Amino acid sequence: MVEAPVIWKLGWCSLVNDDMRRFVEGRGQFVDDLHFPNMLHLKVVRSPYARARVLKVEGGINGSELHFNLSGVGEGGGWQDSSGIQAVDHPVLASKYVNYVGQPVAAVIGEDPYAATDMMEEVYVEYETLKPVLDPEEALHSEPIHPNLKSNIITSLQVGKDFNLPNSPVQLEEELVNERITPNPIEPRGLVAHYDGSKLTVWASTQSVHSWKEGICESMGLSSEKVRVIQVDTGGAFGCKSAVYPEYVVACYASMKTRRPVKWIETRSEHLRASNQGRGAKAKVKIFADATGVVHGLKADLLIDGGAYPVGIGAYAPRWIAYQLTGPYAIRHAFVNGKSVYTNKAPMGPYRGAGRPEVAFILERMMDLLADNLGMDPVEVRLRNTSNEPFVSPLGPRIDPFRPFLESAVRELDYHNRTQTGHVGFSCFVLVPAVQPGESARIAVSGGKVKVWMGTCSHGQGHEVFARLLVSEELGVPEASIDVEKGDTDQLDEGIGTWGSRSVIVGGGALLQACKKIKDEFKTRLGKYDPEQLLKHEFDASVFYSRLKPLNSFGANLVSAHADELGEIRIDECMAYYDVGRALNPAMIESQIMGGSAQGIGQVLYEEAKYDEEGQLLAATIADAGLTRAHHMPNFTIKLAANTSSPHQPRGVGESATMGVPPAAIRAIEKITGEKLTRTPIRPESISPKEPSR
Amino acid sequence: MIPASFDYVAPRNLDEGIRFLEEHGDDAKVLAGGHSLIPLMRLRLATPKYLLDINRIPGLEYIRESDHHLHIGALTRYADVEDSLLIQSRYSALSDVAGHIADPLVRNMGTVGGNICHSDPANDLPATMLALKATMVAVGPGGERVISAEEFFVDTFETALKPTEILREVHIPRTRVGTGSAYMKLESRAGDLAVVGVAVRLTLDAQGTCESVGLGLTAVGPKVIQPKAAEAALIGKKLSDDEIRQSASLAAQEAQPTSDLRGTAEYKREMVRTLAARALRRAVERARGET
Amino acid sequence: MSRHHISVTVNENKHEADVDSRMLLVHFIRETLGLTGAHIGCDTSDCGACTVILDGKAVKSCTVLAVQADGKALLTVEGLAKDGRLHPVQEGFLEKHSIQCGFCTPGMLMASYWLLQRKPNPTEEEIREVISGNLCRCTGYVKIVEAVQYTAQKMSGMDIQS
Repeated sequence: MVEAPVIWKLGWCSLVNDDMRRFVEGRGQFVDDLHFPNMLHLKVVRSPYARARVLKVEGGINGSELHFNLSGVGEGGGWQDSSGIQAVDHPVLASKYVNYVGQPVAAVIGEDPYAATDMMEEVYVEYETLKPVLDPEEALHSEPIHPNLKSNIITSLQVGKDFNLPNSPVQLEEELVNERITPNPIEPRGLVAHYDGSKLTVWASTQSVHSWKEGICESMGLSSEKVRVIQVDTGGAFGCKSAVYPEYVVACYASMKTRRPVKWIETRSEHLRASNQGRGAKAKVKIFADATGVVHGLKADLLIDGGAYPVGIGAYAPRWIAYQLTGPYAIRHAFVNGKSVYTNKAPMGPYRGAGRPEVAFILERMMDLLADNLGMDPVEVRLRNTSNEPFVSPLGPRIDPFRPFLESAVRELDYHNRTQTGHVGFSCFVLVPAVQPGESARIAVSGGKVKVWMGTCSHGQGHEVFARLLVSEELGVPEASIDVEKGDTDQLDEGIGTWGSRSVIVGGGALLQACKKIKDEFKTRLGKYDPEQLLKHEFDASVFYSRLKPLNSFGANLVSAHADELGEIRIDECMAYYDVGRALNPAMIESQIMGGSAQGIGQVLYEEAKYDEEGQLLAATIADAGLTRAHHMPNFTIKLAANTSSPHQPRGVGESATMGVPPAAIRAIEKITGEKLTRTPIRPESISPKEPSR
Repeated sequence: MIPASFDYVAPRNLDEGIRFLEEHGDDAKVLAGGHSLIPLMRLRLATPKYLLDINRIPGLEYIRESDHHLHIGALTRYADVEDSLLIQSRYSALSDVAGHIADPLVRNMGTVGGNICHSDPANDLPATMLALKATMVAVGPGGERVISAEEFFVDTFETALKPTEILREVHIPRTRVGTGSAYMKLESRAGDLAVVGVAVRLTLDAQGTCESVGLGLTAVGPKVIQPKAAEAALIGKKLSDDEIRQSASLAAQEAQPTSDLRGTAEYKREMVRTLAARALRRAVERARGET
Repeated sequence: MSRHHISVTVNENKHEADVDSRMLLVHFIRETLGLTGAHIGCDTSDCGACTVILDGKAVKSCTVLAVQADGKALLTVEGLAKDGRLHPVQEGFLEKHSIQCGFCTPGMLMASYWLLQRKPNPTEEEIREVISGNLCRCTGYVKIVEAVQYTAQKMSGMDIQS
């Protein structure tokens, strides 16, 4: 159920159905559906050990011929430019050391996937195993896993200003943990690369064709005009398909070597081991509050499990999480020590939310625990800490007045009634989207058709719908005349990508700017603007819409749970009240919220990328990885704020549910078990039915 | 992933199959439902030289009762066990278990015989068969061989079947008045395999005293566990809540859980106690005709 | 024997082929027949993206060998539409906006189709149970369930043979 003011266009539904029709017919074009004449299949031989010296590699393509290092690009990437980071290169193919189970060591290419799989057994690798470093706390003190570094610290920084509030009546300390999670889109990672002698073309399952292009060019020392990246149907990403991975570079290299198309598509087992993993944060938090529930200060020590190499967001995460750590609250004093460390695990990367859920978890847990300490209602405590005025956090962000939103949320979610009748958890948050540095768009009018390219790369979010709507509104042309094209670096010179709840803000902004450019050009050439005339002529406008200032989204969740007659926990209801500004595509917004909620529930109840003492992954199958299934899902109620502060400007929503659902769910469960819960996922021991002792 | 190469044969009758196993049994695996075997082969954790597909052999899928037994053909699919009204009404433990194995699509293919012969301690049917005091009927070069459930499950992925034998049928003693059974499964937070499972079958005499009982524990040992002390503690007793709890505690002590993704050993032991008590209570209710 | 001749009726068309023993049915469908609707999402028959109907039963085609399909009838997502008209379950998914990235969609459609064949009026619980073996990371399943409910309603209102 969605309540929102929305302008429904005629023909909207049929266009959306045309977008989706190929999927119900089985005519999607995902990477593994692509067939090229003469195509080869790449398979990667991977380290079976979490940490080892590589003594010998024989066979296949290996480090003796391929000396590239991976370039860090994509969401939170680009660590190489930052100072204060103990950086180390991720070799595309390991030749001296391996530092995580699944790290690529060699590759083989076969005429078909069966032959290529058999060929993997012909590669011989000799290892000398070393003791892996797995616990981030231990990593702070143990020998560096990278011998040329002084320690395992990737980065160590402070955000905010240290303070002393020794007389605070309430001083609460807690250790909170979000264990690592594997993104696990149902379509694993993959690409087809084809070098034809002059140009390398890559068909990509991706969140960003431009990030991939940049990363491939940098890793391989190729100049920009030699590489083209085209997005194909992408079966989900959730953060793991913005970066460039070693396998992509190897596939490109193999194609350059053979001059034949090379397909690489990973198996699920490979994804579980070698895709970037997200979350992996521990926070020691202390809040200083008074007896009325006002928090005057917050201190935190963050420890991020960065994994074996900094190519994901291991280097970026501490500052990013620290920056947000007063959330929507007007907390005057805040000081955060943020560290990330190298461990012998898959590199840490963005996973839907990418630091934001960690922030919400930390803050909302502390608010709940403060309420318990004071015997106050948890929503009352939150209200006390929000403002009717804009607030500039000591950690950096400028937050619009949050209290009016929170008051609406409490009403709309019927908090006071629901909390009387059931076990209910409430959470609220401010989502800071990754708008920087902006986004590009190109609009080309020709033959009565309007073609649109954006630097964002939709992979299930239905960007085509808002793109058509905005362009149609702005240019006055029918939506049916607008084709939204898939990402292609040859058609759009620059671009950033889809992540961080940014696309509708910056992609939309870029489209509007491109439309304006077209109209300006029209006026110059033809005089007064006329949409009919537009379609009879040819125009081509590209823009880069620069945006550095964030446009935050406010949100609140209410989750209820109960224990059934066997004592097992069931999440009943998941309610959301989000301010998304102008809701351009309500059906998709609703879907994004539900999908994000499913991931939030998974984080709380089921999902963990858990390693054993040898650094082997315990979750060896996608079932073990704990993805929520259809019969795990609660009922949903989704309300979009009607009196939004930006009725004409859409705001981000993609990651909202991953922020709001986990803390609300964990609170609801905490009320059932009576046990303080400080970790995701919740340990089974905490929530299983127990037989009373005799 | 892709399995290693193998030769495939699909005999049309049991004799053909047994003759093949006489020649190649040590290098062969029997393919029934395939939903344990084929994933292992795709991950190359199993690389048999030969695959003997028994799905083309007629007459191995059935559920029927005789005067003294329930007979289930080895190729009977979980879905058919789930749908069987006979099993729902009279063999509750099997009914409890059948709808909780994997998912409906896997249940269309997976077989009772395959599950039993795989002897994976995490699978649910071994414990159920143990509790039901089933006997397995195998055929081999020497003819038929009857093996009790107690003797059948030898170790992790190891049964008493010889490489030249094929499981043909499972016999379960026919339900009598006063018999009740139950299977309780704590489903993994992280998937569909049991964290812990407990199977119970018991028979009460006319005075309500327990005259026979079978228990089986899933996922708490290298193979299915038969907690004999827990069974013994119930014989000749009236099965009050106290007695049930005591038996459940004994069952927990007899479990041999290890710590893994699904929980610590201590946690699993505690869950055995909880589930055993619940399963016993439910079996008693059913034996008394209360549910 | 490691190579076998098989004859399979796929979406009502007979196909003959020589296949390796180890060829998975999903690869036979995708690579040999070129029907790429069924997808591969895992190694362990968990995700259901490969769901097809084999002799009337919904199965995970990644866990069946191509040789096992010899002499049998296969229905894939490409066979749902008739004479250019989408099957009601396909229309239902479009109508209810049940698709985001589209990768799980064919498997969901086949599992739903199979359910509706057996239970034309399923409860919400029955729908959720039947797709419990089909993973979706995008949608949270709600709109997929709604699509099946919508389809059931539509099909009972129509006198349709499907």
